[in-house]
Amino acid sequence: MKIKKAVITAAGPGQHHLPLQTLVSPNGDTKTAIAFLLDEIFASGMESAAIVIAPNCERDFSNAVGEHLPKVTFIEQSDPLGYGHAVLCAREFAGADRILLMLGDHLYLTQSDESCLGQFLAVANQVEGSISAVQPTHESKLPIYGTVGGQRVSGSNGLYEVSTVLEKPTPTVAEQELIIPGLRSGNYLCFFGMHVINPAVMEHLAESDSTPLLLSPSLNATAQNENYLACEIEGIRFNIGEPHGLLRAQLGMALAGESRDEVMASIIELIAMTR
Amino acid sequence: MLVSIITADDPALRDRSLAEACAGLDPTTLLAECQELDAFRRSSGNLYHRVRAIFFLQAIYRFHLPDKLSAEDTGSIPFTGYEDLLGRRFEEAIDTFLAKQTKEGPSDAISSSLAAAYHQLAFQTLADQVRKSVRTVRGNQWMFRMGHPADHPLRIRPELLSLTDNLFPVLCERTPVRMDLTHSAWSDIFFLGMDFPQGARVINVSVDLAVHGRDDSPKPPVEAYFRIIDQPTLRLTSIDLKASAEISALAEVFDFAKDYLGLLKAALIASGIVPPGIEGSGKSLADLLAQIAGPGRGIEIVSSVNDIPKGSRLAVSTNLLAALISTCMRATGQTQSLTGELTESERRLVLARAILGEWIGGSGGGWQDSGGVWPGIKLIEGEVAGETDPEYGVSRGRLMPKHHVFGDEEISTEARQALTDSLILVHGGMAQNVGPILEMVTEKYLLRSKAEWQGRQDALNLLEQILNALRAGDIHTLGKLTTKNFRGPLQTIIPWATNHFTETLIARVSEKFGDDFWGFWMLGGMSGGGMGFIVEPSRKAEALEAIHEIMIRTKRELENALPFAMDPVVYDFGINPHGTFGDLREGADAVLPPSYYHLTLGQTLRTPPADLSPIARTELDQFASACRTNPAFESSVQALFDTLIPRAAGEEDGDSSLQELLTEHGFDKAQHEKIRRDLRDGRIGLSQNRLSANTTIKDVTAEDITDFTTTGPADEAVALGQQALAKGEVAVVTLAAGAGSRWTQGAGVCKALHPFARLGGKHRTFIETHLGKSRKRGSEAGNTIPHLFTTSYLTHGPTSDFLDTVDHYSYPGPLHLSPGRSVGQRMIPTERDLRFAWEEMPQQVLDEQQQKMRDSLRSALIGWAQSAGEATDYNDNLPLQCLHPVGHFYEFPNLFLNGTLAELLKDRPQLKTLMLHNIDTLGADVDPAILGHHLQSDAGLTFEVITRRIEDRGGGLASVDGRTRLLEGLAMPREEDEFELSYYNSMTTWIDLDVLLELFGLTREDILADDQEKISAAVRSIASHLPTYITLKDVKKRWGHGQEDVFPVTQFEKLWGDLTTLPEITSKFIVVPRLRGQQLKDPAQLDAWLRDGSATHIESICEW
Repeated sequence: MKIKKAVITAAGPGQHHLPLQTLVSPNGDTKTAIAFLLDEIFASGMESAAIVIAPNCERDFSNAVGEHLPKVTFIEQSDPLGYGHAVLCAREFAGADRILLMLGDHLYLTQSDESCLGQFLAVANQVEGSISAVQPTHESKLPIYGTVGGQRVSGSNGLYEVSTVLEKPTPTVAEQELIIPGLRSGNYLCFFGMHVINPAVMEHLAESDSTPLLLSPSLNATAQNENYLACEIEGIRFNIGEPHGLLRAQLGMALAGESRDEVMASIIELIAMTR
Repeated sequence: MLVSIITADDPALRDRSLAEACAGLDPTTLLAECQELDAFRRSSGNLYHRVRAIFFLQAIYRFHLPDKLSAEDTGSIPFTGYEDLLGRRFEEAIDTFLAKQTKEGPSDAISSSLAAAYHQLAFQTLADQVRKSVRTVRGNQWMFRMGHPADHPLRIRPELLSLTDNLFPVLCERTPVRMDLTHSAWSDIFFLGMDFPQGARVINVSVDLAVHGRDDSPKPPVEAYFRIIDQPTLRLTSIDLKASAEISALAEVFDFAKDYLGLLKAALIASGIVPPGIEGSGKSLADLLAQIAGPGRGIEIVSSVNDIPKGSRLAVSTNLLAALISTCMRATGQTQSLTGELTESERRLVLARAILGEWIGGSGGGWQDSGGVWPGIKLIEGEVAGETDPEYGVSRGRLMPKHHVFGDEEISTEARQALTDSLILVHGGMAQNVGPILEMVTEKYLLRSKAEWQGRQDALNLLEQILNALRAGDIHTLGKLTTKNFRGPLQTIIPWATNHFTETLIARVSEKFGDDFWGFWMLGGMSGGGMGFIVEPSRKAEALEAIHEIMIRTKRELENALPFAMDPVVYDFGINPHGTFGDLREGADAVLPPSYYHLTLGQTLRTPPADLSPIARTELDQFASACRTNPAFESSVQALFDTLIPRAAGEEDGDSSLQELLTEHGFDKAQHEKIRRDLRDGRIGLSQNRLSANTTIKDVTAEDITDFTTTGPADEAVALGQQALAKGEVAVVTLAAGAGSRWTQGAGVCKALHPFARLGGKHRTFIETHLGKSRKRGSEAGNTIPHLFTTSYLTHGPTSDFLDTVDHYSYPGPLHLSPGRSVGQRMIPTERDLRFAWEEMPQQVLDEQQQKMRDSLRSALIGWAQSAGEATDYNDNLPLQCLHPVGHFYEFPNLFLNGTLAELLKDRPQLKTLMLHNIDTLGADVDPAILGHHLQSDAGLTFEVITRRIEDRGGGLASVDGRTRLLEGLAMPREEDEFELSYYNSMTTWIDLDVLLELFGLTREDILADDQEKISAAVRSIASHLPTYITLKDVKKRWGHGQEDVFPVTQFEKLWGDLTTLPEITSKFIVVPRLRGQQLKDPAQLDAWLRDGSATHIESICEW
């Protein structure tokens, strides 16, 4: 069944301002990071979106979402009890439907004709159950991401059947449990910041009493109990919460758009002038 | 035919022994088989087929072919092949030797070279495979890929990064050690587990320890500590080795032998904190630490084994490595839990990392050695490699074994208690190198030698029975079974598993406790170190004391004959139910062991308070508070005070006794100072030992020698010899003054007194064996043969006492000791000589990691020589270890000086001939044929030489600028010259007494009159005509609890063989059979010596 609802988490402690940052898009428009995400979400056929925010942030976010405001619901996470808890806050919004889950501090740049979200939903809408967007990632980045292990779905391109999900694994564990045949050595499938989850994941989150409540253990439980897939995306993700993350995102967008030559010239000039 | 044994699917054919298959094959057929085997091993894709073929080739060339060659097939060894062998280019060496064999036909020399090359190739191939498997274990691979700090994927867990009361928390890991209840018949060697996984089975018990009488109660003996520090460095401390270092460069982490912290460094590498892939990257350690712990932070690691002595055979060092790795893995999130027990998969990973760490550190344990990581009693078994394993298709078994931990339902609490109540665990104190034993076992198993292979099956059967006894809690039966294992399979496989010390202990304990002594049990590679005695439980308390007393007493009796590293100890022990276990200490509890502070706080206290970091100040406060309130810190103030103000040098008592010893043993101070000056000025040294480069050195011709191996003795010669023996005109001089450096690697014990092998049903010393030969020849001749043993400062007292104890072995003839009359004092070597020995002389290159260790050690030793003072006196050891004998030339003239010859002449005025030989030339006896030949000739000295094998290094018989003489290896101008020489000097010399006295300008009357002045002048005069060689010898320094360091020291010597350079005396040379002339210099030779018939030969020429 087609996915119609999206949830964006934007309540992380110390990070709730990140989605409000302003960037210039490849075609020269200026808008907030959250607006970029919503543009992509609604362009992909979503009918509604919920943003999980920290207390007292609704006004800022209302201003930031711009034209999408009528289709957006704000859900307040009263205490910062973990990413899984933020997702769980949207349980009522999700109801019995599969929902698209995105991160408020991530931006994407496609490397194909289709947007990153478009690529993901094209696959997600074809399958049942939960599915996550993933990307082969070097092991040196493992301390940052959730990572999946599993097998390639035979006959498919870039689609995997997930058997294990671990949050920020060490390479030691990754090598033992998360090796995917066909990937280059030292590379693992790490989350790309987009998931489609079904109510069973919400249910598992609700049953869990760990603090902080993370999403990965529930996804791992899903992988043990039902068919859970991962889909490889051709694109670049920018975590604007990292040091220089916003700058990297802006540069990535600028270099992918009409101002590429101008930006490159500026970069070279800066390099020449600084040491 | 032999290839088909290797490739056979049918176990009956595959496990057929090589010896059986080779019996009856003529040399031509054997060589054809070798050719086929060599072609097979080059083409086979299966590792173990390849290795077995190589072992077959080694054994054929070492044991089966030489026997079948004609004595005339002497041959020579191509130097290029030898160089390749030293450089570990085994394939090239084999090709060179084979080419020579094809060109000139098979020979004893080439056979020995091929055997050596195949032997090393086999072990290299096996070691390479283990290494490859270690690297490919999942969980280890990433560490070899990581080459830049920015890519480091590990992070310190947040719990360790937060300060509590201004102190970082301390993560503590406590790990038991392991004992092997069955003795696995060495099947826990990686190679063997991978070859025959079904045969690799052990019962392994994790134990807590206490040294009986010293410690309160058993606890996990191994402790490792981890904490974050506020400096971007690695701070490593080994409490037991009293070593601490602050490392600020990555390269230092890989410099293992620089200090005593190699194991801690190996743990840092194997745990992935400093991954092996980053070695040689030139990157900054501070950057790496910033990536994993945060900017400006570093890591401190502390190890302690609570003074458990080294060599306990309880795998203390492997379990320490495992504990260090565990704590580092916990700290970096590589385990689920920061504290408590590990999960099974984590334990397996720690095992894999410990194997990696041992390889990195250039050592190697068995796969059961990390057993302390697991709890309680477990069965560890080899596993057949499955399709998903990296070993699949390469070896039958996996690198890593599987562990089954027995639950209470399998081995009850009562059974465990019964074992604890009966078993007395001890360390006998002997220091042994088990490396050669492990090589012997590997070779024998892979060759499927019949008796040994059967022994292995028997040991496997015994394991089942021991397991059943354990399940039933029947410790009495268990004791019988472990004894049966020791007496049966283990000694069938390796006769050297036992020794005189062990046998004496068993006999004495048995005598003391009678039927209440239930059994003996050997731990580890060989007995003498870790051992177990099983007694009736009601007598355990008594036995703890009695066995300790027996061990101490026996050690005192044998300590001059066998190498002991320490006094024996008895342990209290308990079975550990947790395996390795972690806990976190925070705030005021975040303390390290008191000894840590004694070792390290001195530096902190010397630092001006203003320069101390806040954390260092807090730590000082914490220590002060602990001293007041924590009972463990009760004596810390005094201990710290002692560290800060060490005892003055004058308080040491070693120096005065050294001076006394020097005076007592005829130390020539003037000569010593001259040697020191000459050494410092570069007038003498290793390079100056050599003859000038334009010396012409050629092999001798047939005219220069008489070959006793090809032509039988003339009847008249035999008759002449028999006649001389019957008249009592012959005596034997055995040189027994040396320290036997190679025999015990400089342990400073009497080789002559070493009960080295079982001959005629019991362990015999070298002295007894030599007397056995003289006894037999004497009784055949109807007259006794006087036998003299030369001794030195080191060997005289022990030899004299020992001979009294054994009642001179009831030797029927005159038996004299000839004490030394000259001694030298060892010196610190010069850097020039060390470099010459290590860089200019051909060296055996070691396996990759071992070579790194050796290079690092050598660099440290050069630093030691420089800081201690080149060519200064070596006195940082026991006084006896600071002296040295001055070469075997002096041992004969000492007979003149010390009155021994005079005494003998009074007793045997008819004495005309002396046979002088080295203590390790076991086959030398007073053969009437050779004696007769010597008497018939006009020689003053007749030297016995043997054909050369590759292991016979150190000179030989040569034509030097036209003169036939013995040439020492030290004096060879070019290494390759030695390889042109067909004959090796056995040192056995027949001496015409009157001719030799004449050479010295002496007469029998001078000797009988004991004219010391004249005799001394005569000895000095001849000595001055002989070259003085500077040599480097290894000397052991023992310290701590069973720790040993080996130092190279400089000494000088004059050598007997150089008498052949004197034109005033006629020297002749005869070639004797190898069994007569070969020397036993290294315990590692013993097994081959037994297998090639040498031991049987010795038994045949002795009468006990």
